[in-house]
Amino acid sequence: MRASVNRSLLDGADQVLHRRRQRRSTARAVLYHVGVGLFGLLMLYPVMWLFASALKGPGEVWTNVTSLIPQAWRWENFSDGWRGFGGITFATFYKNSFIYAGGATLISVTASAFVAYGFARVRFRGKAFWFAVMMLTIMLPEQVLLIPQYIIFARLGWLNTFYPLLLPHMAGSVFFILLIVQFIRGIPRELDEAAVIDGANQFALFGRVILPQLTPALITAAIFSFYWTWEDFLQPLIYLTDPRMYTVSVALRSFADPGGVTNWGAVFAMLALSLVPVFVIFVFFQRYIVDGIATSGLK
Amino acid sequence: MKVWRGLTLALIACLVLGVAAAQDPTTMRITWWGSQDRHDRTIEVISLFEAANPGLSVEYEFSSWGDYWTRVNTQAAGGQMACIMQHDYRYLGEWQSRGLLLPLDEFVASGVIDTSNIAPSQLAGGELGGQLYGINLGSNSQAFMVDLDLLAQAGLELPANDWTWADFEEMALAIHDRLGVWAIGATLPDEALWKSLYLGLGGWGSNVEGTALGYDDDQPLIDYFNMIMRLQDAGAIPNQQEATEMADLGPEQAPIVTQRAVMDYRWSNQVVAVWSAAGEDRNFALLPLPRVDGGAWADYMKPSLFLSNPSQCDQPELAAQFIDFFVNDLEANDVLFAERGVPVTTAVVDHLRPNLERAQAVMFDFLNLAAADASPVPPADPPGWGDVLNNVYDPLFADRVLYRQITPEQGVVILREEANDILSANE
Amino acid sequence: MDHTDPVTTDLAGRRVDAAGETTAARVTDGTRLAGRARRRDRAREDGASAGRRNDLAGYLFISPWLVGFFLFGLIPMGISLFLAFTDYDILGDWSWIGLDNFERMFTRDIRFRSSVIATFRYVALSVPLRLLFALAIAMLLNTRRRGVYWYRAAYYIPSVLGASVAVAIMWRQLFGSQGVINAVTAMLGLPRTSWLGNPDTAIWTLVILALWQFGSPMLIFLAGLRQIPRELYEASEIDGASYWSQFLRITLPLLTPIIFFNLIMQTISGFKVFTQAFLITGGAPLDTTLFYSLYLYQRAFESFQMGYAAAVAWVLLAIIAVLTFFSFRLSSYWVFYETDVK
Repeated sequence: MRASVNRSLLDGADQVLHRRRQRRSTARAVLYHVGVGLFGLLMLYPVMWLFASALKGPGEVWTNVTSLIPQAWRWENFSDGWRGFGGITFATFYKNSFIYAGGATLISVTASAFVAYGFARVRFRGKAFWFAVMMLTIMLPEQVLLIPQYIIFARLGWLNTFYPLLLPHMAGSVFFILLIVQFIRGIPRELDEAAVIDGANQFALFGRVILPQLTPALITAAIFSFYWTWEDFLQPLIYLTDPRMYTVSVALRSFADPGGVTNWGAVFAMLALSLVPVFVIFVFFQRYIVDGIATSGLK
Repeated sequence: MKVWRGLTLALIACLVLGVAAAQDPTTMRITWWGSQDRHDRTIEVISLFEAANPGLSVEYEFSSWGDYWTRVNTQAAGGQMACIMQHDYRYLGEWQSRGLLLPLDEFVASGVIDTSNIAPSQLAGGELGGQLYGINLGSNSQAFMVDLDLLAQAGLELPANDWTWADFEEMALAIHDRLGVWAIGATLPDEALWKSLYLGLGGWGSNVEGTALGYDDDQPLIDYFNMIMRLQDAGAIPNQQEATEMADLGPEQAPIVTQRAVMDYRWSNQVVAVWSAAGEDRNFALLPLPRVDGGAWADYMKPSLFLSNPSQCDQPELAAQFIDFFVNDLEANDVLFAERGVPVTTAVVDHLRPNLERAQAVMFDFLNLAAADASPVPPADPPGWGDVLNNVYDPLFADRVLYRQITPEQGVVILREEANDILSANE
Repeated sequence: MDHTDPVTTDLAGRRVDAAGETTAARVTDGTRLAGRARRRDRAREDGASAGRRNDLAGYLFISPWLVGFFLFGLIPMGISLFLAFTDYDILGDWSWIGLDNFERMFTRDIRFRSSVIATFRYVALSVPLRLLFALAIAMLLNTRRRGVYWYRAAYYIPSVLGASVAVAIMWRQLFGSQGVINAVTAMLGLPRTSWLGNPDTAIWTLVILALWQFGSPMLIFLAGLRQIPRELYEASEIDGASYWSQFLRITLPLLTPIIFFNLIMQTISGFKVFTQAFLITGGAPLDTTLFYSLYLYQRAFESFQMGYAAAVAWVLLAIIAVLTFFSFRLSSYWVFYETDVK
């Protein structure tokens, strides 16, 4: 388990003990890897099944259900599925999703950074009160706000636009704010003090000293923001009623409506495709994601 | 040099913008629900209409039945309704009672909507309080589709048109015994059959004023559900768990398509979809609904869908023109091809008839039959009926009884209490 | 644990001491305890920083949240509260009906009762199981063996994909009567179950989906485990402690703050579950999966009873608030903070 032991330093009896322990530890290692590895594969099975079904032909999807290897690799499923429905291809849906997810992320992360700095580094009257209020809003289910928000936006004439989806993000997100607050708390104050001595005010402090150091936290927040908005379903469903404005999540649901599906392969292909951006970001930014969760949990 | 280029670009930009502004097409929105097939056809008709009316652009929104009412209701709340909407019997009354729909009578009177080829009885379905709130897009009637080949295999004969539920049960059990397949899918608890059950007995789901259930005797309903349970126990129809899983399936996936069942309960306008999914070479016949012993014909001519004009629309005249086009234009109906039901305009029907495929011909014939004998069109569902179905009939009555949590006798008590509670708000 | 200790920070901003190990973080819980700790901190912090009170800057910086909170939070909440006492149904006139909505909800609405039961059942099943899994796997992964990086990724991926429409749709097909799960049980000789059609099993499809996504709490547990000083384990080994007693005496007590945090977060999000129930079961069969949020949605957007739905939403908020409050109250009995040991 630990670093290797210099065997020449052991006497005879100890050597036997050591060898036995090594054998046991190898056995344990094998057991460990087999167990954890197999379970890991089991965890990934549904995802693999999804991707495999995306390549199966219409006849095969339900007859050869458990197999992860399609008999004939039907790449056409992707082009078939891409055509979407009603003359609107998935290109439109992806564009809409990117506008929503990208815009929301930009707004949310920027706002969260500002707000977090305010709570973390600035002294002002009522700070504790507002902080507590902010914490309480975590418990708010979105359904409480859904109906009145809809009515407000509708009367403003903003249905079928992205405004109702993007504007609420100007408040940042409590999770990101907390994440960044904790992050800022970990930044040593020497730099702050140095800058103040040089005559900097709060804004300069924020922009020149703190912000550049926030990159990891911002990346983490951006990733999560992108995920949540990319996968968001209820908001686009209500506000984007024109099919040409659908995001991928809403489009998938209409596309995969059990009442109307004829080509399950194409449906699975589109489902799988929608997960690809999520995967890509995960692979490249895994470290930020993991660290982000860990820090947010600890503090 | 750069300055000149810049100026030229600016000039061109102004021209373009100016032209665009001058053109400023009038736009109108339309919403509907349906299957992919319907979406494709309707979109084509829209482009036909736009071609016939340059400068006019029609924006469309469509969705599945499940999503549709969510959408349009929230749009209504926000004052954002489209100018033309597809409507249904179930909610027409509710919308009209809240002043959300414009009456179309003035357009009919002025001839914008040409109803000269439409029988008054067809228009009647869209009339509420003496005014016309929706134009019927197609007539519909309930039918039992029967797979003639499988029936022959089972050695059974096609029942007569006045068959009863007792005949049906006997036949279903025989089919299951001899062929081992289901007699019919999971559609027997459908609310339309509940209403038709009582229609044949002189009642209806709701009473005329819409303030309570339209019948006093719960026994026929109890008998009916007992029959369903007997068939489930015998394996002649899907058990309740299978039924739940099949709940979302559309016509193209009905068990009759893959010969897992011999019969299917459908509205006539869905017959075409089922038939084409099953294959042109199959042989189906349409039977009217079985009737209660001693009852009358349980069918009626239902307006399948309407086109209505929400009162929030700012161009009612244009909307009326579109409705007229939809209902009367021959070329448009070639595209639509009776997908929403047999058209109400006789001129259109005649125009389509020579080109009908077998499925549609059978459907048209069946409707002629139904029109001749059916009960008169019952009133549109009262406000709150949707609530009765979604929150009482399905979850508190039908599901519970068929999952054997309560007996039909207990169920009908709950049904009556809760439904009347909801409907009494209409007084 | 003084914030102003001369230490360096790693990239994530965590304090790293000379030995290169991250020191145990000061753990804070929610409002009550944290308030006290925070006030102590702030006195020290702000004394050490440049801060004389700067109200203008403070409010300017938090203005995005403040404005957003008023526009998209407080005002809609107020409207929603008002609606709860009316019979607003989005389509026409409405009137003030006082407490009628609440009376109906608690005395006459059978489906409301079903939805509360279904939601509590779901939370009671999924949250403890999920945390258990997360902790167990975290402990398994808390080693220096090779490949841990990959295993961690594999276990976390389902959480990443978790809330998506794609996964929900796929999940439904997985458990369908022609789906993989049935194929597997058939191969094992078990009778075929209609997972989605059987009232006893339908909720489990959703619970298993939640379990499958134990990645987030797992990572948090992992981080927490990594911060337990190794010396404690080594010391106990010298004293002859067994693995199990090490777990009970060292691991568990030191993890209680994190367990508590995860418990709260998972419970709250469990009550808000919507998309999965909507797409996979739709509340069926027999309303066994008619989760609170789903029922609320149905009332608001299918029956259009906005006033009633608003009342239902406020009751949900109250339930969550009460549960959270009691959790905090009870936490002082079992949650062990290092800072308490002085």
